[in-house]
Amino acid sequence: MIAGRLRFATSHATEFVDVTKLVGQEVRRSGLRTGRVHLQSLHTTLGLAINENEPLLLRDFQKLLERLAPGDAGYEHDDFARRFEISVDEPVNGHAHCRQLLLTGFATLLVEDGELVLGRWQSLFAVELDGPRHRELAMQLDGEFVSPPDAVGRSAFSPPHAVGRSAPLAGPGGANGAQNSDSDLIELELARQLMVDPDPVAVPMRRLMEAGGKRLRPKLVQLASQIGPRHDALRAASLAAAVELLHNATLVHDDYVDESTHRRGRPTVAAAEGAERAIAVGDYYFAKATRLIAEIGNVGVTSTMADALEAICAAQIDDVALRGAFPGDHDSYLRVVRGKTAALFAASCASGALLSDAPAEVVEALRRFGDLLGVAFQMADDMVDFSPSSGKPVGLDIRQKVLSLPLIYAAEDRSVGPEVRRLLAGSLGDEEVGRVTELVTSSDALRRVGDEARGLVDAAVRELESIELDGLRPTLVGIARSAVDRTA
Amino acid sequence: MSVQVLDRELDRLEGLWDQGLSDTYRSYLETLSAHEPEMQAKLALAAALIEVGIRLQGLGGHAAPATTLLMGDLCLARASRLLADNATQAVQVAFAKAIEGLSAAAASGKPSRPVRELLVHAFSATA
Repeated sequence: MIAGRLRFATSHATEFVDVTKLVGQEVRRSGLRTGRVHLQSLHTTLGLAINENEPLLLRDFQKLLERLAPGDAGYEHDDFARRFEISVDEPVNGHAHCRQLLLTGFATLLVEDGELVLGRWQSLFAVELDGPRHRELAMQLDGEFVSPPDAVGRSAFSPPHAVGRSAPLAGPGGANGAQNSDSDLIELELARQLMVDPDPVAVPMRRLMEAGGKRLRPKLVQLASQIGPRHDALRAASLAAAVELLHNATLVHDDYVDESTHRRGRPTVAAAEGAERAIAVGDYYFAKATRLIAEIGNVGVTSTMADALEAICAAQIDDVALRGAFPGDHDSYLRVVRGKTAALFAASCASGALLSDAPAEVVEALRRFGDLLGVAFQMADDMVDFSPSSGKPVGLDIRQKVLSLPLIYAAEDRSVGPEVRRLLAGSLGDEEVGRVTELVTSSDALRRVGDEARGLVDAAVRELESIELDGLRPTLVGIARSAVDRTA
Repeated sequence: MSVQVLDRELDRLEGLWDQGLSDTYRSYLETLSAHEPEMQAKLALAAALIEVGIRLQGLGGHAAPATTLLMGDLCLARASRLLADNATQAVQVAFAKAIEGLSAAAASGKPSRPVRELLVHAFSATA
């Protein structure tokens, strides 16, 4: 899923802006081959419509709107004496709101072979009803992607999975119609940081990062950093890159601890270059990330990230200790996951907001959002272990005796539980792992975990309802939903 | 630092105290007389945790077993938090650079300056 904004300016009070070409360009730039592009107006006086771009017809539409909701009909919305908390520049625009009611604020277009699926006479319009203004459409693209060609050209990395990737899509009102996206900034900052490091540590880390990763944590940092009054894209990119380096440093040590041979389809640092090198690489990037964070010079951010790092390390010890009681129970699972995974999600959200001087209640709401999202993300990750289409070897968590909620639920299951527990208590060869996988998938465990993860995402989204997010809510909600609705 | 505060900072790491952490801590404490009294103990503990942490991990030597590595990781993380909460930005950066230098040397198989010398030097960092 790729999410972003399409920005443009309008020049008339009522105007049919044909955005078909712009949306098509963004589809091609994204590398989407087959799927959907979803658009949503972020304004109450801007609609969307699909119709024919014939100038006389557009005048007919305009006249129709004027007849149905005349500008001089008198609207209660325009009676400022009866309204509360109106701004000094509040426009007289009751007619525009009423006209928008006659249109729609949403559109979904299909994409096939990298092109929008539209009939011969169909065009997509953003319908300005109270212009001229600067306008924004939220845009999400999902489906099957190939590597976006121009992103490859600009970035050192081209993640194969673009989940959560967000681009501030530029329209006529944007800077020259093209600007580096926030995601590009993260990739550039990561490339810049790795470029100056000594090869013995940089080469393995570059290999790990080039192999992909969802970049969810840095994306959360960047989004949260746009919420407060002091948004600084470069400082946010620096913090986001540090968070991603920190995350990857923990993965390098985790892979040694778990005796994993592959990650993201490539040999782990420990497998490829030995445990000693893996320890050194993990330590180097742990230290480098903490330095980059310290250099930002925001006490709240430094402290938040330090707390998260401590929680991750403590939870990792608990995780390994619990393998003696494999598969464990729900409470132990939550305790470990909140430290091991959710702590960095929460810290990413909170530190981004702190960086922008967001109010304390916003920081805390985002911290709770990140915590809930992190737990849900891990549950979805556990489910991927049972998905044959994930690209990962099925049953890896079982083999490595990694804490996994589907296994916990399957072990509790009345029907399959006794056999699951018996198998997990013994040695786990291919046959046993295969049988446990069968039992888990035949039980209710995966449905329960899926329901629980989606419930946590709902709770996370509710945390955003009470705070002002300056138009970022749809993107955050999109990231949260896509974090659990995935197969890889 | 009071005994209670020290106890809190050693949560889950108590076992290390009698295995060399206390001696390492006292060695650093002796070098910190120029710092504010309430900072001395916390900075000394942070440095001691780093020294003990990388020794547990086997950085620059033989890799530690998984559980020992994780204990070393926790030492580094705890030290990082102590520095974040108590040290100046310059000292935080100097400590991080010291660990970067030690790790890079370990990764390339080159010798590095002694850990204690690097960390004591980091105490004197100013912006």
